[in-house]
Amino acid sequence: MKTSRILATATIAAVSVALTGCGSKGEAGGDAGASSGTLTIGASISLTGKTAREGVLTQEGYQLCQEKVNAKGGVKVGDKMLKLDIKYQDDTSKPDTAASLVDQFNDQGIKLILGSYGSANTEAQAAVIERNNQVMVDSSGADNNIFAKGYKRTFGVLSPATEYAASIVKAVAELASPKPTSVVVLSADDGFSKRAADGAAKAAKDLGFTVLETQYFPNGATDVSASLNKVKASNPDVIIGSVHLAEGVAIIKQAKELGVVPKVFGETVAPPTPDFVTTLGKDAEGVLGSSQWTKSAAGSDDYFGTAKQYDADIQAKFKHEAGYHNAEASAACLAFVLAIQKAGSTDANKVRDALAALDAPSFFAQLKFDAVGMNSSKPMSVIQIQGGKQVTVWPKASAEAALIWPGTTK
Amino acid sequence: MAQGLRRSRTHLAWNDQVTGFLQATVYGLLQGGLLALVAVGFSLVWGVMNVVNLSHGAFVVLGAYVGWQLNISLGLDPFLGMVIVALVLFCIGYAVQRFLINLVVNGPIFITLLLTFGLELLLVQGMNIVFTANYQSIPTSYAGNAIVLGGIQVPLGRLLAFLLAVGITVLLVKVMANTRIGMSIMATGMDRGAARLMGIRARHVYALTFGIATALAGMAGTMVGTVGTFNPAAAGGFTLLSFVIAVLGGLGNMYGAMVGGLLMGLVQAWGGYYLSGTWVNALAFLVLVIVLMFRPSGLVGKAFYAARVEV
Repeated sequence: MKTSRILATATIAAVSVALTGCGSKGEAGGDAGASSGTLTIGASISLTGKTAREGVLTQEGYQLCQEKVNAKGGVKVGDKMLKLDIKYQDDTSKPDTAASLVDQFNDQGIKLILGSYGSANTEAQAAVIERNNQVMVDSSGADNNIFAKGYKRTFGVLSPATEYAASIVKAVAELASPKPTSVVVLSADDGFSKRAADGAAKAAKDLGFTVLETQYFPNGATDVSASLNKVKASNPDVIIGSVHLAEGVAIIKQAKELGVVPKVFGETVAPPTPDFVTTLGKDAEGVLGSSQWTKSAAGSDDYFGTAKQYDADIQAKFKHEAGYHNAEASAACLAFVLAIQKAGSTDANKVRDALAALDAPSFFAQLKFDAVGMNSSKPMSVIQIQGGKQVTVWPKASAEAALIWPGTTK
Repeated sequence: MAQGLRRSRTHLAWNDQVTGFLQATVYGLLQGGLLALVAVGFSLVWGVMNVVNLSHGAFVVLGAYVGWQLNISLGLDPFLGMVIVALVLFCIGYAVQRFLINLVVNGPIFITLLLTFGLELLLVQGMNIVFTANYQSIPTSYAGNAIVLGGIQVPLGRLLAFLLAVGITVLLVKVMANTRIGMSIMATGMDRGAARLMGIRARHVYALTFGIATALAGMAGTMVGTVGTFNPAAAGGFTLLSFVIAVLGGLGNMYGAMVGGLLMGLVQAWGGYYLSGTWVNALAFLVLVIVLMFRPSGLVGKAFYAARVEV
């Protein structure tokens, strides 16, 4: 009895594995995802789990893109106008789920994919995309590692991870007076944050700062007191957090508790997220952040207009200021639309080639990919929280206000 | 001259090290108190009802949201608001146990695990819908400030949370030992069959225990929201933490969670200070393994609770 039950379970398991395996290799037709006047793009999104907040902002960016494109009649493919239809699936912020959802889209014949939120998810998806001959435009996976594996079918619209924290160091070196002398990086231990931390340490060294040893803590940590306690005695002028929102907020809160007061705090992903100011209140004042995009970005396109118009549209639709998470998602979707129109086809291979050759202006930045698929020529901006608002302070050409220095008060 | 300078530098480095150690210790103890408050309800339910409540973390987060809501809509200070939070969460906990978990409380442990896991999913998703996944924090003008004692910073919010955790644990011990309700709870936990024969209504006692546990979870959540940040996704982390602390401290002793929490807080603070910060979780589990090797019932737990038979 027991043996037969085990046998039955094993058989079911084996059959399921076999079916899944077959499914994931499913070869759908050339014009996959396009049927009866609609163009379907698949998007696995982190709607729940630890990066749900950022996931929702990403989805908003995709939704606005769909609305804007369809308002102009849709995507022009040859002599047909196809309505854009983005299909969402929740990947619960987990890389393995994000990867298997890409497989599921492939089984449904959907070859064109918009990326999930974050480098870990995107990296897991990129491997599956390559295997299935799908094409992905990555909206938020900035880890250089994603593009170092020789993949040919993943294109990222954003600046690479190494530029995130390095841009803050460059801004401080250029704008702060008197110039600070020492920098320490506190970093989460995920791939993206580590890459950004390395970039910051290298930039600081190149610019002549005394660079203290980087301190790491677990990704998603809400207690970073040990790292702050360690650097307190050295009294660094600049503390850079290579972090996500949760760790970024913890650094500011716990530094206050522990009496750690540098001349300025700078953090990668956290300050441009709307929740940073709402959770920290006046403690957020003066903090620097690196941003893929700001409202003062130059450039425009036919769908979104300028960066300022984009912000107004996000405010009208979602009742909050546009953040760079919104903008990079919309830009990824826009890159897809432009490439499909240029290819005159929804065939994955043709769209891939069109993406590789894309060189188009947009509200976000010039959309142009290098040989590995990164938008490496795109500059980053540095913002500072001033009066509860994000204000661009660097590069000088697009600055909305002068840097307030020092960014903290004793 | 040069020798004097070197000596004073060494002296300074030594001073920094002592201050650093003391700062890590103080912060670790305060953090430990907060962790103990998070875990005490979980330990109580497991000890008395033999239910590993996987939805515990969700109640912690729910408490944080109720405290936050009271703060933004009525302007109630979180330390006052947490009394209302405790009442609200007690009612929810009582009802959940009486009408849901009680249905399977006699079943195999896997059924209760499955039910509480499902409940956790429902609560977290419910909070995602109602409150969104945005990070929140309960703002106060004082929680982030610190008292400075001989160069050591003692954060006010965490100090209050710590004192509250100790106070609640002592109160819980007194209630369990000296009141009729407490003794009913302990008796039911020891031998449900015998307790029933003595006229104790096990169903009511169980619901009461679960209600107390969720009330404590709610209070802990309000504290967490005051000194840190929270969103629905934090629930799983609180459950895991409570599990480790309950096992570390041991079941069947109301001081178990406090001892486990303080040890966890200290291990994390010292580990982060002397080793790399990425080691803190591995270290916490290493300590758990070592403690279990020498004291399988936890630091102050009673062996009886692991081997009891329920009828």
